[in-house]
Amino acid sequence: MTRAKLPPWLVLLLPAIVIILAVVMVPLLLSLYSSFTPYHLTRPETLWKWIGTFNYVKAATDPNFWRAFGRTVLLLTIALNLEMLLGLGLALMVSKVTQGQRLLRTAMMFPMMFSPILVGFQFKFIFNDNVGLVNNALQSLGLTERAIPWLVDGNLALFAIIMAEVWTSTSVFAILILAGLFALPQDPLEAAKVDGCTPWQSFRYVTLPFLMPFIYIAMAIRSLDVARAYDIVQVMTNGGPARRTELLWTLIGRTGYVDARMGYANAMGYIAILLSIAFTVYFFRKLQSARRELGMAD
Amino acid sequence: MKGPMAGSVLALLAGFGFATAALADGEFAGVTVEAKLIGGQQYEALYARIADWEKATGAKVKIISQKNHFELDKEYKADIAAGTTNWCVGSNHSSFASQYPSLYTDLAPLLPAETVAGFVPANIKAATIEGKLVMLPRAQFDVSALYYQKSLYTDPAKAEAFKAKFGYDLAPPETWDQFRDQAMFFAAPPNFYGTQYAGKDEAINGRFYELVVANGGKMFNDDWTPAFNSDAGKQALQWFVDLYKAGAVPPGTTNYLWDDLGNGFASGTVALNLDWPGWSGFFNDPASSKLAGNVGVAPAPQGSAGVRTGWSGFHGFSVTENCATKEAAASLVDFLTNEDSQKLESAAGPLPSRTAVWDHVIAEAKSDPYKSEVLAAFQETAKTAFPVPPTPYWIESGNLIFPELQAAILGDKTVDQALEDASDAVEELMRENGVI
Repeated sequence: MTRAKLPPWLVLLLPAIVIILAVVMVPLLLSLYSSFTPYHLTRPETLWKWIGTFNYVKAATDPNFWRAFGRTVLLLTIALNLEMLLGLGLALMVSKVTQGQRLLRTAMMFPMMFSPILVGFQFKFIFNDNVGLVNNALQSLGLTERAIPWLVDGNLALFAIIMAEVWTSTSVFAILILAGLFALPQDPLEAAKVDGCTPWQSFRYVTLPFLMPFIYIAMAIRSLDVARAYDIVQVMTNGGPARRTELLWTLIGRTGYVDARMGYANAMGYIAILLSIAFTVYFFRKLQSARRELGMAD
Repeated sequence: MKGPMAGSVLALLAGFGFATAALADGEFAGVTVEAKLIGGQQYEALYARIADWEKATGAKVKIISQKNHFELDKEYKADIAAGTTNWCVGSNHSSFASQYPSLYTDLAPLLPAETVAGFVPANIKAATIEGKLVMLPRAQFDVSALYYQKSLYTDPAKAEAFKAKFGYDLAPPETWDQFRDQAMFFAAPPNFYGTQYAGKDEAINGRFYELVVANGGKMFNDDWTPAFNSDAGKQALQWFVDLYKAGAVPPGTTNYLWDDLGNGFASGTVALNLDWPGWSGFFNDPASSKLAGNVGVAPAPQGSAGVRTGWSGFHGFSVTENCATKEAAASLVDFLTNEDSQKLESAAGPLPSRTAVWDHVIAEAKSDPYKSEVLAAFQETAKTAFPVPPTPYWIESGNLIFPELQAAILGDKTVDQALEDASDAVEELMRENGVI
């Protein structure tokens, strides 16, 4: 009797395969399955009722879902670009510092060390219409007489949320771009100087193209972060008032855990994941083309 | 096992009288009761008594979770989904209870009739869902009454100006229309507001619900189709809209919850405030409130149908259906809601849910005019108080309704449009779940 022997490569990979199956694939498949059921947390028997694409059709035809989807894309676009610009500026300035640079780099990372929930509470207080710092400062300086409803007006609330996001995560860009600046070869820059390029031209045509791969990596990481934005928004506005700051994950979180409609929440979640996939694919393509431009191998 | 054990406990209960019935020495020796309790400083005094129950019965209580009710609610739902419901005692709330029809057991067979008879009948009625007594109410009965700044009503210049404008005497409002007039009259934004209201989540739904009832309407028809898109509903929502448009409430009120309201009133920048009994001490304490000594309390005003608002709720303790030691768990629940426990909790301000304890707190407050005023106002309001509609979809339908109420308040939609959209959404929810 001979024992069936598994090929060595499979034996070696087996622990990883088992772990991935247990912690990723099974929950993923279960949640995908539940999105085709009316699964309600408080009525476990509903997990076994197949309703086809009902949840997907419901989400796809719900204007509130698409508004939240659009708002998430808007938030993502504005926050990412702002963070990139500010992070780039910060990194360029810090790279010029000759004394105390380490201290500055550490200080730059402070906002990243705060829990997003606490950042949410902090900014909720700062933008409070009655006792908040911003309104008090504006009123004390005589710039306005009225209490500006920062977290009520749709645009202002989105601005307040973006401020919180930018405050907490700009340093992600700054650190990655700073790493790029440190790796920047000096020869092309010196050649540009010899050729008579202005500082702006050197930056635009030498430094920036070299930094682009780093920027796209930071963009890809942060796009996933912002696309699943939940904690800061949940604390500051919880998607309200009147759905004015509703993002995909505040909507999905409420549907799944407060309303207990997990089947429907999962269906919305799967549609939302498309957004993250689209952004990731986009940034990786950009990353590859930036690397090609620099003559790096794919 | 349930039958004989329950029988022996009942015999014991009958023998010893209701309050200390189950506390026979060592009755539950070796038993460990796992509990999920609402957390918060104000609840700790009662939990300190658990040691006495452990000493008397020989059982142990293991608190496995302590969170606020919103977090507990999510945890219970996850427990039901995962089938991990063999812990025994859970904090419950009348506004949430109907969502967990299968989680909790009927306490009536586990307790003597005298125990249940000691509670205010309306509370027991609200704690009974589909014929099951799912919880025993603790001394955390909540209904809202009107807090106001007394000095505003003793200023002759204000009284004269008010009468000239509205044609009737300035006195604490007895109707919600008078309340609106006065809130607009007192408002001087951005430093002083006529009133404020909780503007999101279940909080604004509850306020809307009680105004609908006070105006003679209801949230649901008997067949659970939505009924709030009615004249009474429109009048109720218009009240919120008018106050917001007039600038009589802080502009951020649609983001406010209870703490914002309590702190706002205590800061002295709000004239009228419909709020819960738990705040009464805070408002009149010089350490926490600028209004200490200047707080008046009146029963909740009446709506256009002559009915007082009275959305009420209470905390309670329940025993799970899957608890292996239901008798010990029921004994703990009984202990935590007995007369001594309720006297201890209500001494700090919250309202009791036992008739005898109501009499006790009123007698105790005789020498304190403020406390007497508070109790009189809340007792009057409690007489006509009503719980939330007994549907498992109350919270879920509320999550569909409140964004529409906010949309009307902020001017994104008209009152008619907002109520129509909310009504359609709730009807769809009820249809999807096979209720209608």
